[in-house]
Amino acid sequence: MSRAAAISWRFLGIALTVLVGAFAVFMVMKAAPGDPALVVLGEQAPPEAVAAFHQRYHLDAPVLEQFWLWFVAALGGDFGRSLTIAGGTSISGLIAARLPNTIFIGLYALILGVIVSLAMGTIAALRRGRVADTVATSIAVLGISMPDFWLSYVLVFAFALGVGWFPSYGFVSPGQSLSGALYSGFLPAVAISAPMAAVFARTLRAALLELAHREFVTVARSFGFAEVFIFLHFVFRNALIPYVTVIGLQVRYLLGGVVVIERIFGIAGVGSLMVDAAFGRDYPVVEACAITFLVIVLGVNFLVDLACTFLDPRRAN
Amino acid sequence: MPLWRRRLGALVRNRTALAGAVIMAVLLAGITLGAELMPYSAVDMDFANILSPPSWAHPLGTDSFGRDVLTRVLYGGRISLLISFAGVLIAAAAGTLTGMASAYHGGLTDAALMRFSDLLFAFPSFVLALFLMVVLGFGVQNVILAIALVYFPIFARLARNTTLLIKEEPFVQAARLMGQGTLRILFREILPNIAAPLVVQASVGVAFGIVIEAGLSFLGLGVQPPIPSLGVIMADGREYFQRGPWVLTLTGLVISIALLGLNLLGDGLRDLTDPRLRRQAEL
Amino acid sequence: MAKRRRNGLSRRSLLKGASALAMTSLAGPWLVGRAGAVGATLRAGITGYDVINTLDPGKATLIPEYYVIWAIFNGLLKFDEKMEIVPDLAESYKVEPDGSLEFKLHANVKFHDGSAMTSEDVKFTLERLLDDKFASPNRSKVSAIDQVTAVDPTTVRIKTKEPFAPLLTFLTNARTGTQILPKGAVEQMGAEAFGRKPIGTGAFMVKEWTAKERVALEASPHYFYQGLPKLGAVEMPLIPEESSGVTALLGNQIDLTSTAPFADVPELEKRTDIRVFRQAGLNTRFIALNHRKPPFDDVHFRRAVSLAFDREAMVKVVLFGEGVSSHGLIPPSLKFAYDPKPRELTTFNAARAKEELAKSKYKAGTEAAILTWGAGWWKRVAEVWTAQVNQTLGTVLRVEVTEANTVYARQRAGDFQGSVWGWLGFVDPDEYLYDVLYSKGYRNFQGYSNPKLDDLLVKARQELDRGKRGQLYKEAEAMMIEDMPIVPCFCSNVHNLASTKVSGFVQLPYSNYGDTFQSISIA
Repeated sequence: MSRAAAISWRFLGIALTVLVGAFAVFMVMKAAPGDPALVVLGEQAPPEAVAAFHQRYHLDAPVLEQFWLWFVAALGGDFGRSLTIAGGTSISGLIAARLPNTIFIGLYALILGVIVSLAMGTIAALRRGRVADTVATSIAVLGISMPDFWLSYVLVFAFALGVGWFPSYGFVSPGQSLSGALYSGFLPAVAISAPMAAVFARTLRAALLELAHREFVTVARSFGFAEVFIFLHFVFRNALIPYVTVIGLQVRYLLGGVVVIERIFGIAGVGSLMVDAAFGRDYPVVEACAITFLVIVLGVNFLVDLACTFLDPRRAN
Repeated sequence: MPLWRRRLGALVRNRTALAGAVIMAVLLAGITLGAELMPYSAVDMDFANILSPPSWAHPLGTDSFGRDVLTRVLYGGRISLLISFAGVLIAAAAGTLTGMASAYHGGLTDAALMRFSDLLFAFPSFVLALFLMVVLGFGVQNVILAIALVYFPIFARLARNTTLLIKEEPFVQAARLMGQGTLRILFREILPNIAAPLVVQASVGVAFGIVIEAGLSFLGLGVQPPIPSLGVIMADGREYFQRGPWVLTLTGLVISIALLGLNLLGDGLRDLTDPRLRRQAEL
Repeated sequence: MAKRRRNGLSRRSLLKGASALAMTSLAGPWLVGRAGAVGATLRAGITGYDVINTLDPGKATLIPEYYVIWAIFNGLLKFDEKMEIVPDLAESYKVEPDGSLEFKLHANVKFHDGSAMTSEDVKFTLERLLDDKFASPNRSKVSAIDQVTAVDPTTVRIKTKEPFAPLLTFLTNARTGTQILPKGAVEQMGAEAFGRKPIGTGAFMVKEWTAKERVALEASPHYFYQGLPKLGAVEMPLIPEESSGVTALLGNQIDLTSTAPFADVPELEKRTDIRVFRQAGLNTRFIALNHRKPPFDDVHFRRAVSLAFDREAMVKVVLFGEGVSSHGLIPPSLKFAYDPKPRELTTFNAARAKEELAKSKYKAGTEAAILTWGAGWWKRVAEVWTAQVNQTLGTVLRVEVTEANTVYARQRAGDFQGSVWGWLGFVDPDEYLYDVLYSKGYRNFQGYSNPKLDDLLVKARQELDRGKRGQLYKEAEAMMIEDMPIVPCFCSNVHNLASTKVSGFVQLPYSNYGDTFQSISIA
């Protein structure tokens, strides 16, 4: 199969997955008890108001028809309007407003995590069994050993309320002020990146150690290549495969796994949007978020695979 | 020297694994035996004694219902560990099998299995878990199922990516040429060689599973009262943090220690299960 | 018995506090989008909520929606600091013997768009609520109205089909939905658009509203109270975590909160850098018992579970003492209708509880699930209650926690045995009793029916004399308690936290918020 054909197949697969996912999510949401009308009108809403709400949003139609109505509109690029948020806010607008926050905080945490883990993982592997390894591994293990929301509280009480270096609450969108976003996003980014950095560092260390004992390294050594060259060319490069894979695995965590941290720091992210929408039975918002997640995560997976192929050309076949 | 003595010897020599094993042993003793030995009940309320700070009688203080936090943490640790372990075990077994088979067979099987895991994988763990809670209702089994679903695609992808690397190796090719069956090749040749990252992932997984359970409880989802889980205790503690900070902070500390033990043990096990490293150590 | 009250334009209370308008120089995320309005900006967090669906009073139901609505609209009437009803947009009013009302409006009131407020706007507002097609969730509050007549631009007459005593309270700027809207603007914009960018007569107007994040208000140049508001703008971030509201205040990211976590109140009161406002609230919390399902279909069993727990202990451990135990649905703050005498059936008495259990067809060991949601104190109510009842009676009640929307839906469908429930911010005894206990009341999810009680509740609605009306409610509650359709638990305090820079904040028991912004100033 030619490369172009392979990539087209892959895209077709992604499209199919998104479609199946959207349908599955819709059916699952509909299977759950609950009613968006009660979010909008309050739990004490009179029945007439609830009925009017259902009629208005076609919630009294058969489920498949509802999905079809949504699907046809979505194909035309119209995610529709939210059932529960601010009097029918445009969902595309909601996601457009929140995605930058999510991506910013995610990248912020990812960059912190990658810098720290590259340094720690490499040092730990090169100095295996020595003090530096013990220190780096211990830090990595400690980092992973703190529940992120517990760490958030500790960070807030130490660095915001204690010494007062960072705001205790609130996040400035990067669109408003980049420096403000970097400043107000620091504590949440640290809370998110701590366990991630630990995972990255451990993966890198494990991969480096494993590769250091491979036959091709021994062979390379016997050819008399310089150690630095061997490390960079044979060991490090191959170790990046699991490392990049593990980084790719964190994307969904960054998109929606940090809901609790978003709530503690008041970051308006897509993850919280989806969770709140699921709680509120705001079906079109859940669908739109699901599609956003699917497209981003599948896209990143694709890129990760591409990167792995690049690092290890054998896989291209 | 019998194999187990050698293995044990290796475990003792490996300080990381030893430290992890000791921490886990102490914690396991605590959540099994210790919980039974505690003079307090994990569920009975004592309104005369609410939110008393840590003391000799209550080393971790009491909560808003006057229950001894240490007792609840020990029982809660039991529940949390059980939930997380069960969830990760299911995910690891199913995910590894799927990933290996998928990579080894390739073609349509690979495409179908990978799309399925991609689909699960694309959803943030929280959202996935939350969907299950909303649809199936709360309870221990559903939290386990949620954690399993969250970890399944991770194990599947990891197993697949590493298997892809390994299956072109000469010894796998040799095994194939010798006419060994697929299952035999998968389990005898490939699995031992991809086990290291999987074991690391599983130890991390059990640790993160505890965090997922805690996070679900933070949002008011999770196990039903009066059963304590570490997450439930922390979520309660967050509500009266200014008044009784010990409940959240000390329970969090206990979780950190537990995760520390799990992670150290995972690191140690990785060294022990890695055939190349082991061979080196034995030579 | 016509009454007439006058209301001066310069109420002393509104001028309390510093008059200097100072610009704050605080750095904080909420100030980033601030425009150059004259006067200071108050950062008033909406804590514990993040859903505001509409700012159209005709469609609003949620308390955070009202937090904002109260700042941008006025009612014909309002509550003063003593919770007495006083005129607001009306200059004066009188009640006719048949229950009809006549309002004389202020002549100089302008909406935010500069147009004048007249009797036509009042007529439009009320008729819109009454319109079936509009399907307002607040329709029941005005459904007794027969006719609204605009006599002249500043006189409006409201005629009811029969006397409807709660109407006066329902025309205040509280959780009522009867805030006065501009006819022209609503008709021109349409309901949807108006709900997003409302125009009122209030001290503040909406500058920007980002869904689930913040509402930004700025001072109205047309406000009809001279010298008000003192602030230039109000930033209202939506902070879903109540505990984050506290850290935001302590970290100087906001100046005021709409609630406070009960447990933290004593610790927060010790601090000198913030002020804690607290008083008995207008709210009620209870456990609804489903009459259609065993075991709560048995009156003796229902009485037994009410007798079997200590409400004081519940207040102590669930609210950390921030409230009072209740033995009815009407909160103590509604003094005229509240009966302070303790009732036997709602007082902890283990022996009596066992007697009732013995008379019941259910015995010790009976199982039942109590439905509730979330973390938080809702869950704690159920936990404490089931633990105590099980201990006293040997029953096996358990807590079933799920998420809020499922609970609401299951309550409505009658798919529960017992369920923790309650509400806050209602200002009339009718709101607390009628829809929950009346046989056909739409909130009567427990399927309770007592024709005698129905009669009493209807009579109380029609009784215009406050003293007699209060008496009717006391009777109704006494009758209800004998049947025990719901187990009353407690009534909690309301709290606000403020930085010491804030002055002029007036707390009222119905969880008021936006209505007091006009009198606030910031040092």
